[in-house]
Amino acid sequence: MSTVTSSETAGGRAARQRRSRAPGHAARMRFVALALTPIMLLFFIFSFLPIGVSIFLSFYRYSPLDMNAPFIGLRNYIFAFTKDPAFQASLENTIKYVLIAVPLNIVLTLPIALALNRIKRLKPFFRAIYFMPAITSLVAVALIWLYLLDPQSGMVNGLLNSLGLPRRAWLGEPETALYALIVVAVWQDMGYNVIVFLAGLQTIPDTFYEAAMVDGANGWQRFRHITLPLLSRTTLFVTVLTTISYMQVFIPMQVMTHGGPLNSTRTIVLHVWDQAFQYLKMGYASALSVVLMLMLLVITLIQFRFLRTNWEY
Amino acid sequence: MAIAATKTRAGRPRAGTMLLYAALSAGALLMATPLLMMLLTSFKTPAEALRMPPVIIPAQPTLDAYRTVLTRAPFFTWFRNSVIVSVSVTALILFTSSLGGYIFAKFSFPGKNLLFTLLLATLMVPFPVILVPIYLIVNKLGMLNSLLALIVPSMVSAFGIFLMRQFVAAIPDDLIDAARLDGASEWTIFWQLIRPQLGPAMATLGIFTFMSSWNDYLWPLVAINDQDKMTLPLALSFFNTAHSTRYDLVMAASVLVILPIIVVFLFFQRHFINAMVLSGVKG
Repeated sequence: MSTVTSSETAGGRAARQRRSRAPGHAARMRFVALALTPIMLLFFIFSFLPIGVSIFLSFYRYSPLDMNAPFIGLRNYIFAFTKDPAFQASLENTIKYVLIAVPLNIVLTLPIALALNRIKRLKPFFRAIYFMPAITSLVAVALIWLYLLDPQSGMVNGLLNSLGLPRRAWLGEPETALYALIVVAVWQDMGYNVIVFLAGLQTIPDTFYEAAMVDGANGWQRFRHITLPLLSRTTLFVTVLTTISYMQVFIPMQVMTHGGPLNSTRTIVLHVWDQAFQYLKMGYASALSVVLMLMLLVITLIQFRFLRTNWEY
Repeated sequence: MAIAATKTRAGRPRAGTMLLYAALSAGALLMATPLLMMLLTSFKTPAEALRMPPVIIPAQPTLDAYRTVLTRAPFFTWFRNSVIVSVSVTALILFTSSLGGYIFAKFSFPGKNLLFTLLLATLMVPFPVILVPIYLIVNKLGMLNSLLALIVPSMVSAFGIFLMRQFVAAIPDDLIDAARLDGASEWTIFWQLIRPQLGPAMATLGIFTFMSSWNDYLWPLVAINDQDKMTLPLALSFFNTAHSTRYDLVMAASVLVILPIIVVFLFFQRHFINAMVLSGVKG
């Protein structure tokens, strides 16, 4: 048996070699070289090289204004973690933002997806409404909310006032600004996760539910023992993607608060952008972005680990 | 399925379904209110937009805000820039992704696996991480502050190649071999045999790419200085810094920025949804 297989693979290899020397092989290789070289060159210039440059620059005190860019080893990193309170605030804010916004997003989007999955009429209509903010430019969204949250003429305070509650400068107070931005971000991109959860729900066969109903399982039991476990991969997937995207949050802060008040909404990407393009400290900004890259890498690796263990059922 | 179950139990089914619709409608209202407020405010007079307590429905709707935005700001230039950049980026990415996807799916050549692994690895590095080096490289190439700066670095997409490779893999090898026996050149095979079969994948990748390009902000913010080179999101933010006290103008400009993409979305809703589900694979 084993000799047969080995002679077969040997035969296969020989055939492949014959084919590779066959006429047309040269033409195929020429095609691959001609088509792939420009594509890979673009990847080299705009992906691989920048990753290398980022790491390289992080060891230098580099500014485009200064001809002199000395090698300073790990000092950018040391400075970031010991002498830059704004960066530490940005780390803290980003983590806080992710820890609140990601669960909030999932707690809101999963029930919406479940409800959408159960209705028969108007489904495309509702789906469109929930998805609409997700396709609008985040800058426009930020400006809309800047208006809604305006301390004087904003609708949020108007509504609170008519209910007899006090007005607040939501974006002007360090205690509330980050939470206001969380509301904005979650409102904006709930639509994505609703769609992904819906796609996940549609892969669960109806027969599972029918069997459970024959066994007398009630709605909660069906959700708890069928929907939830079978949706666990989708949920994990949504969690990781949302986490990675929220870790890079930038636009609402840049447009609405500039990281203020008192750095209470400063995030990592905002700080990188500030350091690199407002203060032109590009070596330092590179070190900060390497820190971000490592954080995201850890999250991605954790994701792979979870996905592998979950694969079994 | 679950509805069928509740229907068998008399009395409760309707109530449950009604509750579901009520909850969904309340949620939809919450989702739509900010967008509606934007639209309503764009028809207000400057004074009405700032009134306290806020006015919901303008007493005398006016198009003045739109008139001002369209005449006092180079709005059409911004719109044209956005169209040029998004259309070019989308067309180029569709071309390079289908070509690259075809090659990685159907050819064997030395170093293939290494190259493909490197491509996949770039998916794990998000854009903000390479913002500074990209800026320095584009500066070296002399492209800063031009539309080229917004197009050239976005001509290839690892996600696009990955996606297209999956779709090309489903095309039978025999078909390609038969075309070769008929004497078709490699380029002819790609352009006339492979490309036409990738329609749905192209629509999905195209919509996804167009949308990200249309809404891109961080890179234009860094790469563009001149007002007449700006794309819409950057221009909108710029416009807001100049007119931040004029909510009527800012909201009218916002409506003009998001309207095109909302119209496209309403026409191609299914494709958008597919694009989002597939782009979830992106990671």
